[in-house]
Amino acid sequence: MSLAAECPECAAKIALNDDVISGEIVQCGDCGLELEVVRDGSVTLRPAPEEEEDWGE
Amino acid sequence: MTPKDSDREAIELLRQLVAIPSPSGKEAEASQFLAGWMDRHGLDARVDEAGNAIGCKGDGPSEVLLLGHIDTFPGEIPVRIEGDWLYGRGSVDAKGPLCAFAVAAARAAVPEGWRVTVVGAVEEETATSRGARHIVSTMAGPPAYCVIGEPSGWDRITLGYRGRLVVNVALRAPHSHSAGPHPSPAELGVRLWDAVRAYCDEWNRARARGDSVFNRLSASLRSFVTSDDGPYGVVRMGIGFRLPLGAEAGDIARDLRSLLAESASGAALEVTELGSEVAYKAGKSNRLVSSFLSAIRSAGGAPRFVLKSGTSDMNVVGPAWPEVPMVAYGPGDSSLDHTPDERQSLSEYLKSISVLEAALRNLWGDQGRAGAL
Repeated sequence: MSLAAECPECAAKIALNDDVISGEIVQCGDCGLELEVVRDGSVTLRPAPEEEEDWGE
Repeated sequence: MTPKDSDREAIELLRQLVAIPSPSGKEAEASQFLAGWMDRHGLDARVDEAGNAIGCKGDGPSEVLLLGHIDTFPGEIPVRIEGDWLYGRGSVDAKGPLCAFAVAAARAAVPEGWRVTVVGAVEEETATSRGARHIVSTMAGPPAYCVIGEPSGWDRITLGYRGRLVVNVALRAPHSHSAGPHPSPAELGVRLWDAVRAYCDEWNRARARGDSVFNRLSASLRSFVTSDDGPYGVVRMGIGFRLPLGAEAGDIARDLRSLLAESASGAALEVTELGSEVAYKAGKSNRLVSSFLSAIRSAGGAPRFVLKSGTSDMNVVGPAWPEVPMVAYGPGDSSLDHTPDERQSLSEYLKSISVLEAALRNLWGDQGRAGAL
């Protein structure tokens, strides 16, 4: 675990696995926010998509 | 084959499958047609003992299961294409998602060590879920990943569904003069239904379930039929419950029996459970979800997660395979499910196929490569 990125909500440092991939969902240990990994050269984090509700199947 | 030819062929597959009526229990012709299409497009295809259409590509030990359903809600809608829209029963729920699975699998170059299996399961729209249950009981082991074919919309990923409990209630009570003080059998039936609704309200209030539909217990009156049997009146009701996480069908059925007995004023009652599934919510910290998020973003979308108020075959296979990463995905607007206006956007259908192809490549990592239909 040598990679790290900053939580966009509370600026906490979050350790990530070396093989982390884009789209992976992690949780900030400090503020609890769910975050989505963006890996395109560098590794950054953005808030994960929220959960909506919908009718039907 | 050019990309345009390939897209035309994908649309023709959907149009033809929608044109074959396949209400639950009458899927044989549609299953044969889909299996034939998959067989002609590079999948090892067959119709299994339950009537499910199955196509498999690749022979590796790790399996991606694309589990759609081929049966539809009853009621025919004239099949036609108007502009971007294909009208027809099942175009959204769920032949659009199922055909997207078949086309994406046909286009996929499955890497060594993997196989992708497409299933068009029978009887998803009934309480039996016979096709999905047959798959669970006959597969050699759980798949590595599972995608359920239901209309999420091309840029959304469905993570969960409420469960369901379907019951029939029959009440038999003596007639009395309508000018008298005693309630008629029909009025007793209405009283039972009122008791069911009050029970759901109290269940939600006691557990502080708030306004979230996914978290609430609800009931729908699916049928209400009165008839005469000599000096007695008979009321038959079909009631469907939608169960949130934490609600056990057995507990609800037991409560239902006692509250109906209390409300029936001594009338003869018969309660029959037709089937049930528990609610299911999949996890999102796994490679399957990340593969879809990246695929949707690559196609220019802003992905979203969704929880559905209804029930799908995820409620059958999810609890059976608790360790298997699982989502539901497919083109279409689920608010059109079961309606007379059911229609599928063809541009969205094609976009969802591209997302599925990209998601499979992401899932397989460096091993995945683009193929051709």
